[in-house]
Amino acid sequence: MNFDKRELLRHTVATLAYRGGKAVANAPEGFDQFHANDSTRTPGQILAHIGDLLDWVLSIARGKQAWNNSTPLPWPEEIARFFAALEAFDSYLASDEPLHAPEEKLFQGPVADALTHVGQIAMLRRVAGGPIKGENYFGAEIEVGRVGSDQSANRIEFD
Amino acid sequence: MEIRRKLLNHFLAALAYRTQKALRDAPADFGSFRAADGVRTPAELVRHMASVLGYARTFFVGGKYWPEPLDSLAEEVQRFHENLGFLAQYLRNGDPLREGMTEERLLQGPFSDAMTHAGQLALLRRLAGAPVPPENFIVAEIKEERLGPDQAEPVSPDKVWPEAPDGWKP
Repeated sequence: MNFDKRELLRHTVATLAYRGGKAVANAPEGFDQFHANDSTRTPGQILAHIGDLLDWVLSIARGKQAWNNSTPLPWPEEIARFFAALEAFDSYLASDEPLHAPEEKLFQGPVADALTHVGQIAMLRRVAGGPIKGENYFGAEIEVGRVGSDQSANRIEFD
Repeated sequence: MEIRRKLLNHFLAALAYRTQKALRDAPADFGSFRAADGVRTPAELVRHMASVLGYARTFFVGGKYWPEPLDSLAEEVQRFHENLGFLAQYLRNGDPLREGMTEERLLQGPFSDAMTHAGQLALLRRLAGAPVPPENFIVAEIKEERLGPDQAEPVSPDKVWPEAPDGWKP
């Protein structure tokens, strides 16, 4: 087991929690149903897909790969599912259980996918007229293991 | 190479791959596509990606980084890949980080920033009416030493694409 790589993967998961939490917090009413055009997914569909990706990566890590296309939940429940899935994956990474795929593959697939989709939700916030603030993420208080909704409020944000 | 830096280099390679994926076969005028007021065009987005990576470079070499706009999306993309290459080389060399910077902060800051923007490029493709075909990225041919614009074709493209544009073939 490679603890250094595993810890860095956990840091990526914590980054996903921080950035994802910011992208979905305080969204305008009805944002989850926002359709930028006929061919784009709604934020609710994207967040559900992120939840599916996180369930998938845990199943791969455990050695029993399983994919499921879920139906989007109401926005607050989908957000709760997002953090619950992050916590489940992070707990597995924190354990002594073996990883059934290399860290590089877990990262380049579902984890990176989830990050790209967080970026999409952030962009849709702007298209929908409810943008999130910019931030210096270098200085953000992102910590391994902090993957729930209780993220640091101590932020260096700007308009 | 130190093991965490090796994973960071893999992150950069994944960024190169996903950025090219989002740009491959884009319409000729995609660089100037404006989805809405206040939303960056693809050319502006790639310049911003180069900028955050250039900022990351300053923690290895010092100085400041503020990229001027270039004439075309192709030139912006070239600069983005050059900055990826510089960063990967510093990481491979074992060059020290300045000003209290750490590998973790590189990851959570500019590297992750750029990754989220790669996703935004893909969203802009969709908004521009030229969506990017899906694939299984976990088996994609992503290599630490492959950081330029010449990225591999998908190993496992999706055979079913419900939102595919007319005429798409797997």
